[in-house]
This record gives sequence, structure tokens and C-alpha cells, in this order.
Amino acid sequence: MGIPRVLNQKNRILLKELTKTDFKLRYQGSALGYLWALLRPLLMFAILYLVFAMIMRFGDEIPHYPVYLLTGTTLWSFFSECTSQGIQAMVVRGDLIRKVSFPKYIVVVSATFTALINLAINLCVVVIFALLDGVEISWSWLLVPVFILELYMLSLGISFLLGAINVRYRDVTSIWDVLMQALFYAIPIIYPISMVIGGEASGARMLAAKVILANPISQVVQDVRYNLVTTSTITTWSFESGWYWKIIPIVVVTTVLITGALYFRWQSKFFAEEV
Amino acid sequence: MVKRKIGARKLIIEPENQIAIKVSGLHKSFLLPTERAWGLKQAFFNRLRGIKGYREQKVIDGISFEIKKGEFVGIVGRNGSGKSTLLKILSGIYYPEKGSVTINGNLVPFIELGVGFNPELTGRENIYLNGALLGFSHKEMSEMYDEIVRFAELEPFMDQKLKNYSSGMQVRLAFSIAIRAKGDILVLDEVLAVGDAAFQKKCNDYFESLRGKQTVILVTHSMENVEKYCSRAILLENGKIVKDGSPKKIAQAYLKLWD
Repeated sequence: MGIPRVLNQKNRILLKELTKTDFKLRYQGSALGYLWALLRPLLMFAILYLVFAMIMRFGDEIPHYPVYLLTGTTLWSFFSECTSQGIQAMVVRGDLIRKVSFPKYIVVVSATFTALINLAINLCVVVIFALLDGVEISWSWLLVPVFILELYMLSLGISFLLGAINVRYRDVTSIWDVLMQALFYAIPIIYPISMVIGGEASGARMLAAKVILANPISQVVQDVRYNLVTTSTITTWSFESGWYWKIIPIVVVTTVLITGALYFRWQSKFFAEEV
Repeated sequence: MVKRKIGARKLIIEPENQIAIKVSGLHKSFLLPTERAWGLKQAFFNRLRGIKGYREQKVIDGISFEIKKGEFVGIVGRNGSGKSTLLKILSGIYYPEKGSVTINGNLVPFIELGVGFNPELTGRENIYLNGALLGFSHKEMSEMYDEIVRFAELEPFMDQKLKNYSSGMQVRLAFSIAIRAKGDILVLDEVLAVGDAAFQKKCNDYFESLRGKQTVILVTHSMENVEKYCSRAILLENGKIVKDGSPKKIAQAYLKLWD
């Protein structure tokens, strides 16, 4: 399968039409419709802000903490939506796979595109909040899409890999749900990384911070915050750790995407029989 | 992980070659889970106990045939004889396990009418979605849209959700989209005889118009249709070809299966 066939006209048409359908169906029959794409992450943000910023006083030392928090929850919502939809896509679209012959990756990509559209809408809200909160417009904002692309590549890789396994073992969906709960706390979304390091930096605490920052999701979240909200954000690059700690995220993303895509392509021949 | 062999499915475009489809030594079997092997836990325990967790079901057992351009071939046989599996292999949905399939030209399959139809979408939206699955762009569909709706006799219902359609209306809509598809080879699985008498007449005219001009493979249980449209028929039994010849002879042989 060469590049020309992957992106040929027929596949593009199908990808576009399936994405449109996914997006239309997501909020079908709800009174507020597309507004839920905005409301859900905003409500999640409101709860987290109330509990962690107002009551528990996290992030007092971070400038623009509400925007800082909102950026984190927005990116997390994207990752969580993208992977859960992507992993289930093959099963949800089982009827098509059993009856039409087409490249199966289209189904996964169209499911993740819907999450990308939602992210784009939510990022507009983040920008509005940032401007209202007095964050200054900067050229560094232009770097944000680069990191989002990195997060998307990771999500797509996970969707391919786990989505292919999910066709045979539906347990994957449940396992991933639990894993996501744990992952949420392994990423500095609600707590600032400075809390992990603590006042007197001990070896164990430094190691914990290094491990947290070696996670590609943390790296993306921190980098977006650094470029969009405040340069006082601790990023994987700025944190004092060995160079190998700094390249782990990009190595993980590349490996997951390549392995996922290859495994998916290999298994996709049998999806029609197994789904 | 089970290792499985894969046969060949080749797509060629040779206008001067008079063979439209060539199938040789085709085999296909499915791995059916025996006990509840559906899930990681069972898969793990089965491995521990040395149980395979599946058994092989032979569905296509050494089939070879050739179809020339312009032939209208009916494939008949009782339930479970392998007709639909053969069609799905020709259409590229299933992979052949052994043997080879060569398709000369552009093959358009209809394993089922209205694939991808969504009850929550309107008739109009479903037309575009179904069209995309057939490879039509939004623009091409817009050009054909009025004709499709008129043929389906559904003009007043296009902005209604599909779930509010009767089953007859849904099939009419699906059929009207399906016949727009242009391909060198049409593969149809039980799609004849939909709608009321007036609509059946339209379908009849459509199939008449295909005869002799288009390569068609039709799976059906209706011997009346086989004799009416087909120029040749193939009878399958237990994944093997038992008879290949004129529609009349095959229809007789088919009815004798139950004697």
C-alpha cells in the first residue's frame, strides 16, 4: 500500500463523509446539540477549579492558574475522547466492515477527527479565557499546533494498536477506561509539578518529577502551557534531568505510532471476519 | 495469536482480456470460537490448558471458475453452502485462504442494500453517506440526487429521519442509490424484488437493461429470477461447485436438492 492509494480520492470522500456523520450523530437528539462539545469540558474545568484551586489552594504561585488549569483539562479531554472513540471505532462501525471493502484505517481516523474538531472549538474558548485573564498575546502561540500534532500522533497510534486488539478482545475498552483514570493523576493537570518536587527536593521526589515529565502527555500539556499561558511552567526540556529523560516522550510517540499502524495494517485483513 | 495463510486477490485492468473474473483453487475456512473464547481471560486460560479455543469450519472447499465479460451469472445453493462467503471474497471483504482470485476491471459489490444507513440521519443525509461508500463525491451525488429520489418515489420524505421510514421505503431508497453505481462488474447478494408491484416493475426494467451489457454476479434463492435474467448459473453445495451450466438446468438441480 503506497501513499498514493492511501490518500486517493475515493478514500478522501469516505473519510470526509464518515467524519461528518460521526460529528452529526454525537449530539443527535440533545436539546443543546453541539454546545455540549463546549459545555462538557467547561463543566469538568469548573468542578476541578472549585475543588483544587478554591478549596485546596493548588497553584497559588502560578500566574493565570485558571487558564493554566483549563489548558490542561482541554488537552486531557481531547486525548481521552480521541483514544476512547478511536479504540471503539472498528467495533462501532462493524456493520460497514462486514459489508464493504475499504481501507479500515479510515474508520479510526474519522473517529479521531471528531475529537480534533472538538479540540479546535475548545481551544478557542481557552484563548478567550486567556485574553480575559490578561495573558499577553505572543508569537509563541504559533508553536501550540506542533505540540497538538504530537499529542494527536500518540492518540492515533494508541487507537490503531488497541483498536486492532479490541476487535478480538473487547476487554480492551474496559481496561483502557481504568488506565485512563490512573493516567489522569499521573499527569500534572490539576497539580503543578512544583508540588511533586516539594520544598526540599529529595532524590525520590526528583525521580517522581522526572518520570511524570517523561510521559509524552505531560510533556505536551506543559509545553502548551509554557507557550500559551506562562513561561514559568516547568517543561520536560527546562527541568534539570539527563538528556535521555528529555527524548523519552518523542521516542514513545514515534514508537507507538509506527507499531500501532503496522500492527493495524497486518490485522486489518481479518477484521471483517472477527468484528 | 493464530497464524493464517493468505491467498491472492489480484486486481487487473485489461480491456482486451475477455475474462472478467478468474477464480482458481479457492479455499476458505473460518475459525469459530468453541467455548466462550471471547475475551482475554478465556484466551489466557485456554492457552494454559492447551486448548485451541476455536475450531475450523470449511466454507469454501476448492472452487475454480471463470466468468467472461457480459455474462449474467446466478449463484445458487442452500443456506450455508458458501454463496455469500464466495461473494465477500470476490468483493475483497474476506481474504482468500488458499488459491487465487483475479478481478479484471472495477468491481462494485452490494452485499446488502443500504450499508451504513443510519436511522438517526435524514433520508437526504443517508443518500450522501451511502454514496460515499460507493465512491461518489458530494458533488457527484448532488447531480444524481433528484433522479435517485424520483426513482425511489420518496420526494416528500427526504428531510425525515430514516427511522420514520417504513422498511419498504428504506429498501427503495437504498436500491435507487445502488443502481447509480457504475462498475465493470456488479456483485449482488439477494437484492432483487424490493418494494411493491409498481416498484418491482422498475427493478425488473433495470435488470433487463443490464443483460448482455454488464457483467453481473447475482446470489439468489429465486429460481424464477435466475431463469429470467441469468445467462449462466452455478450451484454450490458444501463449499464446492456441483453444477455449472444453463439457468434452466441449474434451477432443476437446485429444486432436486430437497428430494
